[in-house]
Amino acid sequence: MSDLSANPDPPPHDEAIAMPRPTAWPMVLASGVGLMAIGIPTNLIFSIVGLGIVFTALFGWFGQLLTDEAEVEEPLVAPERRARPIRPSHKRVLSPTPGQRLELPEKVHPYSAGVKGGLAGGAVMAIVATLYGLFSGRGLWYPINLLAAMILPHFADDTAVELSQFSLTALLVGVVLHTVTSLLVGLFFGVLLPTLPSSPVFWGGVVGPLLWSAGIYSFMGVLNPVMSDYVSWPWFIASQFAFGIVMGLVVVRSEKISALRLSPTSEEEPHDANS
Amino acid sequence: MAIAETGQSSAASPLVTQLHGWVTTVDHKRIGILYILMSLFFLVVGGVEALLIRLQLWVPNNTLIGPDTFNQLFTMHGTTMIFFVVMPMLSGFANYLVPLMIGCRDVAFPRLNALGFWLALFGGCILYTSYFTGDALYGLGSAPDVGWFAYAPLTSPAYARGGSVDYWILGTLVSGVGTLTFAVNLIATILTMRAPGMKLNQVPLFVWMMLVDAGLIIVAFPPLTAAQIMLLLDRYAGAHFFDTQAGGSAILWQHLFWFFGHPEVYIMALPAFGIISEIVPVFSRKVIFGYASMAAATAAIGFISLGVWAHHMFTVGLDDRLDAFFSAASFLIAVPTGIKIFNWTATLYGGRLQLRTPMLFALGFLGMFLIGGLTGIMLATVPVDWQVSDSYFLVAHFHYVLFGGSLFALMGGCYYWFPKATGKMLSETLGAWHFWLLFVGFNLLFGPMHIAGIMGMPRRVYTYEAGQGWDFWNQLSTIGAFIMGIGFLIFFINLVLSLRSGQKAGDDPWDAWTLEWATSSPPASYNFEQIPTVRSRRPLWDLKHPEDPDWKYE
Repeated sequence: MSDLSANPDPPPHDEAIAMPRPTAWPMVLASGVGLMAIGIPTNLIFSIVGLGIVFTALFGWFGQLLTDEAEVEEPLVAPERRARPIRPSHKRVLSPTPGQRLELPEKVHPYSAGVKGGLAGGAVMAIVATLYGLFSGRGLWYPINLLAAMILPHFADDTAVELSQFSLTALLVGVVLHTVTSLLVGLFFGVLLPTLPSSPVFWGGVVGPLLWSAGIYSFMGVLNPVMSDYVSWPWFIASQFAFGIVMGLVVVRSEKISALRLSPTSEEEPHDANS
Repeated sequence: MAIAETGQSSAASPLVTQLHGWVTTVDHKRIGILYILMSLFFLVVGGVEALLIRLQLWVPNNTLIGPDTFNQLFTMHGTTMIFFVVMPMLSGFANYLVPLMIGCRDVAFPRLNALGFWLALFGGCILYTSYFTGDALYGLGSAPDVGWFAYAPLTSPAYARGGSVDYWILGTLVSGVGTLTFAVNLIATILTMRAPGMKLNQVPLFVWMMLVDAGLIIVAFPPLTAAQIMLLLDRYAGAHFFDTQAGGSAILWQHLFWFFGHPEVYIMALPAFGIISEIVPVFSRKVIFGYASMAAATAAIGFISLGVWAHHMFTVGLDDRLDAFFSAASFLIAVPTGIKIFNWTATLYGGRLQLRTPMLFALGFLGMFLIGGLTGIMLATVPVDWQVSDSYFLVAHFHYVLFGGSLFALMGGCYYWFPKATGKMLSETLGAWHFWLLFVGFNLLFGPMHIAGIMGMPRRVYTYEAGQGWDFWNQLSTIGAFIMGIGFLIFFINLVLSLRSGQKAGDDPWDAWTLEWATSSPPASYNFEQIPTVRSRRPLWDLKHPEDPDWKYE
């Protein structure tokens, strides 16, 4: 170890290092515990003997710690048995690869772009959903109530007509749900888009909505049985595409910032570097 | 107890003195080796039990082993493999490696460390005492026969007469206390004894994962211990915690057990992840991809794994909303686990791969664990779980996770660090034979179980009728089991031969970068003559490449 950077503490001069002294007390204590346990299904005599051993072992253990017997001076091993000094290697160093001082992508969108994209996409999605409510004749509040039904179980018993009525609770729950989900999805895409090849709008506006819709389609029965029963899938998918395209456009239009960390933090040599 | 065995002069000591040195040792390295030897012993025992199970299932209507003995075999096999093979092996690796990797002389509480090992060993002895005392004292039962998760009410005095279940409770309880001491010690060591300059975000990933692992042990084991004491009170003191007829709850046992049981899966998997995170970079000649995300994913796995236990209980008939929550949480854990898989793959990508035996096992781990993870996602889907729960599909799944995952990685770790612990290299030829026999045998054993399970074969049946389409798949599995047995035999031969006449390893046979390779092989009892100062995640890289050290970039 002589070549490894050593700490400022001086090396031991007396060629010995204080180490914990070997002791049988832990083994004795464990055997006492084991005997105590064995006594339960066999005979309590074993447990009583085990308890005695436990106390004896604890007494011996603690007694040892309170005296000089707790440690022993271990002499250093002979020099030929010590570690060889570590020498500089002549092996070729791989040029930086992804993960090693090289971060990909080199430039990324700021997190704020994802947040803005998510909120903008969410707003457009809400407009599409509202249009669905109006064009379907079920009213403005219908899509909001369907969304809120994920959290509010009493909607499960409502008819389509009742689901068209205004509910302040449903409005608040729906708005919060929609905003938070839009924001998180936007953030996710904002981080992910720079790592994907080709057009971000394609990933955000086509692939994303398709995957999201497929996922929602699979889980809708569990996540929101009410919406599963009443949802219009063409309108639902249209709203997903509206979200994805707008979100993708907002993210793409944001200015990218560098994520590259190729340069060393400091050229200064450490004070306690290789001896 | 004026015992002053230093542990350094044992090479020339008589056998009794050597044994005395091992029994009284508080050296973390020797305790680590003791844990691993204990694990290997129980691996043979549990492996023989598995072979007997496979022999019984070789043909339909087989009468080789009776139903009672079969119940005992699968109970003892599961309990042994989890509590007395994988747990001691991971404890052994952590004990041996963590102080070396963080550059200290020993663990924070060396005597407590020794106590932990002896408790684990005596726990195993208590479990197997059941084979020798159950019949003699009660004329009933012998080994426990309630499955490794010992569901109530099977464990109640009415169904489990005699003492066999008590040995299961007490053996796992005592070893569990030992595991807790190990975890406390490990956390204290990692948090307080790192080499000067080594920040927590610079410790090797194995250390990171063991830190989270120890945290999980601290949270997960006490509920099991409490449940076991409650069960003892039910059996001996007339309590009714799990007695439904007296106002207790059998489901309560399942909740308490699986609150331990599922984190336990990750307690066994995280050290494997740590080992892979050390092996893959060294044999790819690259730094690990995404150190920070690996550490964060480990912490996320630790956290999420505490909230998924009821996915073992989908068939119990819990509330649908509970099923949905635990299903979603189980899906969620695939995210950090997937991050790890991607990071290991990214580390391999573009690297100069060296297919030495540790790397073979690491690559085997990647494939097998991925399959286990994917079937885990299938089982996290409630309707799928309802369909295949308690079938051989489930048995296949968890063996792909725990054997294809944990044990493959632990075997890789054996090959990787054996030179450090002994100063000798394990034979590469025998190692390759070991790997390929294990790989082929493993897939032949557990791959067909997926099919048998989907075809409806329930787990834990001691025999089956012909004509259900299960015969062929069971025979494949049995052949695979024996191929694996040969693989392990070669491993043990390799250990003995290499110890006696293996090639000398030197201090750093793999040209690696973490601190354990900076000391001698085997290390002195005090590890380092001088405690090193660390400036980066790869202190040995810095020394070997002073023109391009890592510390400039971290």
